[in-house]
Amino acid sequence: MLELFRDIFAPPRHLILLVLAVWLGATLTEKRAERFGIDKDDLSLIIYYGFIGFIIGGRLSFMLQNITAFIQSPFSIVSVNVDLFDVFGGSVVFIIIALIIIQRRKLSFWSSIDALTPFFAILVNGLALSHLAAGTAFGIPTSQPWGIDLWNATRHPTQIYAFIASLLIFCLLWFPKQTLRPGIHFLTFAALTSASQIFLGMFRADLTLILNGIKQEQVISLIVLIICFILIEIRLKQTTTPQ
Amino acid sequence: MSQTQRIILYSLAIIASVAWIGISADTSNITNGFAPQEGFSAPDFTLKTPDGETYTLSELKGKAVLINLWATWCPPCRAEMPAMQKLYEEYESQGLVILAINMTHQDYPLAIVPFANEYGLTFPILLDETGKTASAYQLRSLPSSYFINRAGIITEVVIGGPMSEALLRTRIEKILE
Repeated sequence: MLELFRDIFAPPRHLILLVLAVWLGATLTEKRAERFGIDKDDLSLIIYYGFIGFIIGGRLSFMLQNITAFIQSPFSIVSVNVDLFDVFGGSVVFIIIALIIIQRRKLSFWSSIDALTPFFAILVNGLALSHLAAGTAFGIPTSQPWGIDLWNATRHPTQIYAFIASLLIFCLLWFPKQTLRPGIHFLTFAALTSASQIFLGMFRADLTLILNGIKQEQVISLIVLIICFILIEIRLKQTTTPQ
Repeated sequence: MSQTQRIILYSLAIIASVAWIGISADTSNITNGFAPQEGFSAPDFTLKTPDGETYTLSELKGKAVLINLWATWCPPCRAEMPAMQKLYEEYESQGLVILAINMTHQDYPLAIVPFANEYGLTFPILLDETGKTASAYQLRSLPSSYFINRAGIITEVVIGGPMSEALLRTRIEKILE
């Protein structure tokens, strides 16, 4: 079953999973938009233009970081190579576009990102599945019976762990009906996702080691977790009445 | 939940996280071993050129190596050859080695040398006549390229193509560092 999945979505086809995640995430987000007091057309605009901005911004950011390579071969800027891409740069452009639309349409910032939370949650699910298909984000060797054969060893199926964790987080935020104060929905998602990254980092073999073998990505997730806690407290103090 | 209860919850979560990060620290210094994936040592092979010259990957340690798996019938493989040749000429003096491994077991052996002549390729063309190297590199799609740094570690895998000149240049400069 796993082999069949990996054959079907072997790189570069693993990117199809991310595109499917964007589509599903956008659909679910629009479905729940009204609960957060946001018009679904406004959310569609954010996702649509944000996605285009992510693609173009990621390529431009990569180009600016490797400007000499592109000066010597300018046509490479329109190359179909997905590897000519900077995810961080693309994400920054997505955020900028989202902020511009939120400001122009006079939307509530916190309600907007609350409404976008299903989109982000499904994207994390898609990312875990694309890692599984590509064999990236792989685990440390294990003798556990649920280990998967990957890169010449039996390893912790960290991609499956990540998928289960992200699916649980999505369900936890999707199914309860109670209305939370603006911002809490998204911040809870971000805190839980960071916590799951810290936990699963234990089983990952591909993370960057820093001082004394500490894994850099876990430290970053811890910082994000602390920021989420601080922001949750600030939001709870600022909003005295539930929306 | 009161603010005090929340602060206690946050503190416990942070303490548990810090402890978990400490437990997760990898001090073993064990390398990932051999596999065709970023962060692993590149699987070794010994292959011959059409002229009978032998190349062994492990003997190239200290050099930056680009392994390209290709076939004459594969359009993206053909499309990326001129850029590879251009950059090979540019970076060979800095220690770049390009090993273009032809999937001879799936190709037309008589077409390989004319192909190399047609594109003016001067880097070594190696013949995988048994499919053993393709299997070691878990080949799923052509072309597949593996960028290997001077320590013999794969730093990047590019599946599919054609690779643009800018992509090749950025990755080659990285493995030459």
